[in-house]
Amino acid sequence: MWQYLKDFWNKIKRPKPHLVAFPEIFEHFQELLEDHQQVMELIADLGEKSGGEYIFDRKYLIDTTNEIQNLILHMVKGVNLISSNRYLELYSTIDRIFIPLEAELRGRLTLSRELPYVVALQEATPDQPELIGGKANVLSIITQDLSLPVPPGFVITTRAWRSFLEHNNLEERIHGWLEAWAAGETDESHTARQIQYSILAGVVPHEVAGEIRRQAEKTEAFWAVRSSAYGEDGELTFAGLHESFLNVPPKGLLKAFKNVLASLYSPESLVYRQKMGMMGEEAAMAVLVQEMVESKVSGVVHTLEVSGSEPDCLVIYASWGLGRTVVEGRSPVDRYVVERDYPHHLRRREIAQKESMTRSVAGGGEEEVKVSPEEQGLSTLTEDTILTLVRWALSLERYFKRPQEIEWALDAGDRCWLLQSRGLQVPRAAAPPRQDICETCALYPVLIRDTGTVAHAGVGSGVVCLVQSDEGMNRFPEGAVLVTKYTAPWLARIVPKAAAIVAERGSAAGHLATIAREFRVPTLVGVEGATEILEEGMKVTVDTKQRLIYAGRVKELLQYELVQAMAFEDAPEFRLLRRLLARIAPLHLIDPQTPDFVPEGCITAHDVIRFIHEKAVQELMDLPRFVKRFKGVQIWTLVSDMPLGLKVLDLGGGIIPTAEGSKLYPEQLLSLPMKALWSGLSEPGVWSTEPVPVDFKGMMSSLTKTRTETPGTTATGFNLAVLSETYLNLHLRLGYHFNLVDARMESDSHRNHIYFRFVGGVTDLTRRSRRAQLLAKILSQYHFKVDTKGDLVVAKVLHLPQEDMQELLKILGRLIGFTRQLDIQLRRDEDIPEFVDAFFQQMMERLDGPDPGGKYESG
Amino acid sequence: MDQTQEENMSPDKLRIMVLDDEPIVCKRLKPALEKLGYEVDTFTQSPEAMHQIQQTSYDIIITDLKMKEIDGMQFLTEAKKRHPGTEVIVITGFATMETAKQSFQKGVFDFIAKPFKLSEIQEVVNRAAAKIRGPAA
Repeated sequence: MWQYLKDFWNKIKRPKPHLVAFPEIFEHFQELLEDHQQVMELIADLGEKSGGEYIFDRKYLIDTTNEIQNLILHMVKGVNLISSNRYLELYSTIDRIFIPLEAELRGRLTLSRELPYVVALQEATPDQPELIGGKANVLSIITQDLSLPVPPGFVITTRAWRSFLEHNNLEERIHGWLEAWAAGETDESHTARQIQYSILAGVVPHEVAGEIRRQAEKTEAFWAVRSSAYGEDGELTFAGLHESFLNVPPKGLLKAFKNVLASLYSPESLVYRQKMGMMGEEAAMAVLVQEMVESKVSGVVHTLEVSGSEPDCLVIYASWGLGRTVVEGRSPVDRYVVERDYPHHLRRREIAQKESMTRSVAGGGEEEVKVSPEEQGLSTLTEDTILTLVRWALSLERYFKRPQEIEWALDAGDRCWLLQSRGLQVPRAAAPPRQDICETCALYPVLIRDTGTVAHAGVGSGVVCLVQSDEGMNRFPEGAVLVTKYTAPWLARIVPKAAAIVAERGSAAGHLATIAREFRVPTLVGVEGATEILEEGMKVTVDTKQRLIYAGRVKELLQYELVQAMAFEDAPEFRLLRRLLARIAPLHLIDPQTPDFVPEGCITAHDVIRFIHEKAVQELMDLPRFVKRFKGVQIWTLVSDMPLGLKVLDLGGGIIPTAEGSKLYPEQLLSLPMKALWSGLSEPGVWSTEPVPVDFKGMMSSLTKTRTETPGTTATGFNLAVLSETYLNLHLRLGYHFNLVDARMESDSHRNHIYFRFVGGVTDLTRRSRRAQLLAKILSQYHFKVDTKGDLVVAKVLHLPQEDMQELLKILGRLIGFTRQLDIQLRRDEDIPEFVDAFFQQMMERLDGPDPGGKYESG
Repeated sequence: MDQTQEENMSPDKLRIMVLDDEPIVCKRLKPALEKLGYEVDTFTQSPEAMHQIQQTSYDIIITDLKMKEIDGMQFLTEAKKRHPGTEVIVITGFATMETAKQSFQKGVFDFIAKPFKLSEIQEVVNRAAAKIRGPAA
């Protein structure tokens, strides 16, 4: 077939002039891979910096972002050189992604035309309080990142507020009134009246009103409309200064919106702003609109007892009806004092005589009513609800790194909702004297000192829970300290519950580290011997900032951290870094077969990189072009017992120099990655030649299937290995599935990688997906980072030393052989573990098979 | 780390000045060094820091090089002139590291390239402290 095609193309005298010769193409391809590697390293670096162990400045962020952009531009150039300019639109994709990044880096986000007037709480970009205000920002984090229940709703953004001001020519006038006040010409109540009146008389711009209506029409709910000013709930609390309107009917939303805007200029707010040095123009109000929770009980949690008399407790305040009773201190409320430590013993219950409550009025608004005599003295909360609130409150405190003041509500169906969380103002009395911290900590016994790498900086305390397997995860208690040998991706599920993480292996750029940072869990990796020193059930305090693990609960240290002026996570540089990362690091483009696998589908820098890589590989493997390009290039045919039909192209040093003719034998291979892979693939028994028993369904499926249905294969396919001494790019179609291995193994481990991609199969999609799951399971046990989507598996490892790369490639070789026909055999989901076991069994039988237990860190 | 504990025994703590016009550097370094038992003052304006060293002496000064107004070189020269016993640690961008090393070989205790790890600077500061306290510590 090959010869035939070659001859055929040789007959056509002249290839088209624009077709670039293969060696040149491959040079570009190699360059692409190098850029790919470098840019992924920079991205990993940025991620690592968000963990708090590094001190960096704005300049670092600017430089790194520029470098990433330059590398990607170079890659775009490269892929266009390879493909004769087929992907020129990538240039505008890059503009689309990097122009907002530059805007972020230039300073505060400008409220540009592209920003929305209204955005759903669930869809708001995190860390954008400039756009959605402080309160909404916190709630979007609570619902999106922490997955705790927040009443659904939307935010009318600060851009809508700007637009409102412009539309009504208010900006200049407000400015004038404020100046007059600042100059002492008027008093604050007069100034406030003027401004508020003009806001209330203003017209909400048509586009804004339309957007609000569109969101409100999605349900038939009544709404709670509350302020979410920029700066509010951040360093400045503005507690109670801005208005809230409860139980607003849909038709009342525009009026409520204006009322909340006007409250930005109440006399009290004006004085507060002046005192805090943030006058006039800087005021930016977003308005939060959420579905009304018809609360049976509502209240507030303080994660710290503010009088300081019970520093080991948190306090829940609760009352019947809507929240005003508690928040505004209208009448006595129930008070529950609960221990912060697991199992959260209820220390005291102070039930008040609750005579009145606020409730919604049918048709809109709220009213204050008497509580029936028999309910006045009843406890508002059950133990279950108390426990739920305590767990949520502590998880909010763990995330925000500061004591929290949390508003919550319990609806008629006994479901709890979080309405707001903000930093709790701790009076001085409750704060420990700062200067003693070093001496105090020295009094506690240290279990582990100066060991490991910081993945996320912070202090966490709890009971040690050793997790070694999937089963161990289910019993992981909220707020425990996760101690583990591995940093395998399957641990991700319990990260949000952990007070701290200590892993014996892994790196700060690994998968677990990334997730720990996302949930702000203090994490140390590479702590040798941790699982022996830290015993199950032991109480410990992990200070990753000092790389110290203390025995017991170091109360003073925990308090010291809680009352620090600002958690590093909230510093502007870290917030900026997280916003940059959100536009750079996540990968959305996974499956090249989906319609959104196009330049327009790229949302992040990583997507662009992935797109380019995929297209470059495709270009390389495009058969007709390939044949044209190979005119005059030496192509070898690998001869072996296995019917692979493998062609080999040597870029230099990949095969012995004395090879002759067109045939090549495995022992003539010199390429390190190829040899390693081959050693696994060619092991006795791996390439099972006996026919696999096919059940009826599987057989019918394979009989009726045509090749063109198989994704990832070309109609007239062949198999190809491109080699050099330290590099392998292998395209292997076996039956109806398609393997791609791209690997580099050099002495400098930082240049090394394995990229493995697997797609397709002979049977129906369900069975193929089963095989994908099986592969994913096995690969992730060897600490590949694995993404699966349907029957597509993409697995990667990075930066391992040569010996480890060799071992993993050998395993990959075995795996490629082992799974060759497995989709036929995988009849039920339950078969998967059995085959995973079978694979490991096979590994064990070959005595050199490494323990899958986590020697490797995924990249 | 062991000597840190011994330092705690001593009644007077070593005093450190941190000067960097990026507030984040000061904000992060202050608590990290305080936890090691040092007394830490931070400055983001070099003239203010300059004013401060006229009034009082520091055992260790951690300073950036590139700053508005008075630059790091000028500042540390003045600091060393006033108090020759002060150990100076220079933190500087990766790009300017080599030039920095060349121009300040003398008199600077150590150089650290930004971005750097907290543990890295803590280690350098502890070494400087050991030198100040002499072999007895």
